[in-house]
Amino acid sequence: MDPAWVLVVIGEVLVAIGVFCDLVAAIGMLRFPNFYVRLHAATLGTIGGAFVPLIGAALIAAGCEFLGPYRWFTVGGALVTAFLVLILAPAGSHALARAAHRSKAAVVEPKVVDHLEEDRGGGGS
Amino acid sequence: MSIEEQVTLFILVALPIYIASFTLYVVRALKGPTIPDMVLAIDAMTYDLAAFLVVLAIFFRSPILIPVAIVLALWVYALDIYVAKYLEAKEMGE
Repeated sequence: MDPAWVLVVIGEVLVAIGVFCDLVAAIGMLRFPNFYVRLHAATLGTIGGAFVPLIGAALIAAGCEFLGPYRWFTVGGALVTAFLVLILAPAGSHALARAAHRSKAAVVEPKVVDHLEEDRGGGGS
Repeated sequence: MSIEEQVTLFILVALPIYIASFTLYVVRALKGPTIPDMVLAIDAMTYDLAAFLVVLAIFFRSPILIPVAIVLALWVYALDIYVAKYLEAKEMGE
């Protein structure tokens, strides 16, 4: 079996996982009740929906002879983008969630208990 | 079936699903009740758009699309940090 086929098939499996995660994250982003629950959908959409297909696209590009000599440019760019997404997406989400909670921009509704709010002296529960 | 035909067929199947999920993200970004909701939807959508651009670069055989994806990932991180700073301090910084 040609080694290019192995790269292409593994890459296509990763891209398929990414597409599935992307669709599920979009549905969750639309259906979840408040901002803090939507953060879960955002995690699925960034790591599962962007990091995994970027690695898969790099593998596909490495196995595709028809892309010409510039396919290694595609591979390197895809890997760099995957690394940036892996580092920057959780950092950005954390900063946004912290700011939203501290400034009370996003209402926690419906909620069961809010221990962080109690620790700051506000009325939790 | 050659590698070229197989990869092209696979990406052709994947494209409509990407478009559908972008549509759902845009709906949330437009009607999000608070500012963090809108920014979070745009955030997730743009990271997915970076992955989508790399897939499109394979589909159209044009590596010139790759730097766009890198810049897009960096830009949306800057958007996150600016909005977070604005929400906490009510000013954009110097």
